[in-house]
Amino acid sequence: MSVIRREGPVEYRFEHPDDFRAHVRDRKSRMPSDKICRAGEAVSGFLKDGDYIVYDFSSLTRGPQALIREVIRQGKKDLWIGAEFTLHESALLTGAGCASRIDVGFLGYGNYIGQAVCDGRVKVYEWTNGGLALRILAGARGVPFLPTRDLLGSDNLAVSAAKVIEDPYTGLPVCLVPALNPDVAFIHVHQADPHGNARIFGTNLFALEAAMASHRVIVSAEEIIEPDEFRKDPMRTTIPYFLVDAVVHAPFGAYPGAMPARYEIDLEHVDLLNGIRTDEQMKKYLDENIYGVADHDDFLDKRVGAARMRELRRRATIIEGYR
Amino acid sequence: MTRTVEFTDTEFMIAQGARLMEDGKSIFVGWGIPQIVAILAQKLYVPNVVQLFEFGAVGPQSVLPFVRGTMGGPQNTYRSLQWLNMNWAFAYSASGYMDYGMLGALQVDPYGNINSTYLGGTFEKPERRFAGSGGGNQVASHCWRTIVIIKHEGRRFVPKVEFITSPGYLTGPGAREKAGLPRDTGPYRVVTSKALFGFDEETREMTLLSVLRGMKPEDVVKDMAFRPRIAESVAEIPPPTDDELRLLRNEIDPSRIIIRGERMTATA
Repeated sequence: MSVIRREGPVEYRFEHPDDFRAHVRDRKSRMPSDKICRAGEAVSGFLKDGDYIVYDFSSLTRGPQALIREVIRQGKKDLWIGAEFTLHESALLTGAGCASRIDVGFLGYGNYIGQAVCDGRVKVYEWTNGGLALRILAGARGVPFLPTRDLLGSDNLAVSAAKVIEDPYTGLPVCLVPALNPDVAFIHVHQADPHGNARIFGTNLFALEAAMASHRVIVSAEEIIEPDEFRKDPMRTTIPYFLVDAVVHAPFGAYPGAMPARYEIDLEHVDLLNGIRTDEQMKKYLDENIYGVADHDDFLDKRVGAARMRELRRRATIIEGYR
Repeated sequence: MTRTVEFTDTEFMIAQGARLMEDGKSIFVGWGIPQIVAILAQKLYVPNVVQLFEFGAVGPQSVLPFVRGTMGGPQNTYRSLQWLNMNWAFAYSASGYMDYGMLGALQVDPYGNINSTYLGGTFEKPERRFAGSGGGNQVASHCWRTIVIIKHEGRRFVPKVEFITSPGYLTGPGAREKAGLPRDTGPYRVVTSKALFGFDEETREMTLLSVLRGMKPEDVVKDMAFRPRIAESVAEIPPPTDDELRLLRNEIDPSRIIIRGERMTATA
């Protein structure tokens, strides 16, 4: 069980590696089963108030935006976001009252979220992108921490729970970051099968590490394919099924961000998000695009439309490197 | 025959940055202006430079025009050598493969320490909050030479940054090594919209090296909130060349969203 630890003003999530191992033994089934469900069921079934969440990648590129919108629609509370990139998703989660803490990362697109930090509406800690990626790797690697030669000398040390010790091998100071085992990882992929095998094409933040390190993993996919396809081409498997708890079929699940080689970013909608500065503007956005629609399909029907989706697909002309 | 060139302060920073690149070297490219610098440099000066993005694009050659908001997408990771992820990207810098790193900054101090986290107030209750490190801390910690790109506004050059997001020489000579940062690394140049700074080999203090043609050292340092050292002979920097401006305006950013800025002139 992951617990909140405190050191001075800093809170951080930590779990004994043996506790996480026991979770994997008891709760991560290696028996393949059909895990297809609706986004609503996945979020209500696997995410609870107070949970620590991570996602891969960002609201601009292959982020799990349909799942994030569902979290907001269900009014989850007190979430803690491990945000390698906190672009629009943390602004929306904070604006909707779902998030209370953010481990940063990169606090991008800052009009609304920057003000929320200044107003004390959400607490932030500074682990940096490299620090968070390493914490997730430690969580996936089953070790309590990993050492690194950054953060050293910077003020991020004081506002994270990273520690500096003497390295027993070189005698030099070295920085340690604690393992991170999130409650839930949201990962949007190009292809998945009903068991949860998943493929991402292109770069990622820490998709495999986050899936391995998290208690529960919700995959949303542009396309559902047959399990045998993974056996035919194992080099292309990003995440194997036994890490995954739920599979949601969500075409345009990264919208308004881009899904590499599938559809382009909708810059008009992104500019709408960038323009949110006040609570009124936030409320209007949430009402129109999240609370005012039943689910992801309804959102695509009413707020995006077939013509727009066709156009965004047409713009995705670069397919070299993606299959 | 002399001729007056018109350009923006942003175009000048980008052109200066591009001229600093060395062919056959690698550069860890930060988000924003550094992306444009690397593209211009690779097109014009350093075809064999290896760019690295923190989200795991190794050796990308971005498509033009540059498309904003596509970090990690097909446009700016186009024709990479390798697609990986963040832990592997920082492995490349931590193990010494990255010759240069290039970062933007909110504030910089005489030792090249970078603040990109907040301004005013305290960390818990800032007056203005910004993006923070992202991967900037790793870039400034690991790369052999870090280049900072910053608009030349006096308030951005402060005696002590409010928050060290990414480390420069910290408190002076030997401080990086004492903190445990990798040996022989640190800030190398600070590129501004008026001038170019380096760091004194002995004191590690920021030193004015050159200024835009037509400016005097005093024009550049007068509004800075600390007084930098000034090199014995301050060189002049030619304004953006026709080639640099043509590429920037016609091919890289035809909508001029990124390269817009204050208008400047200088003699070509």
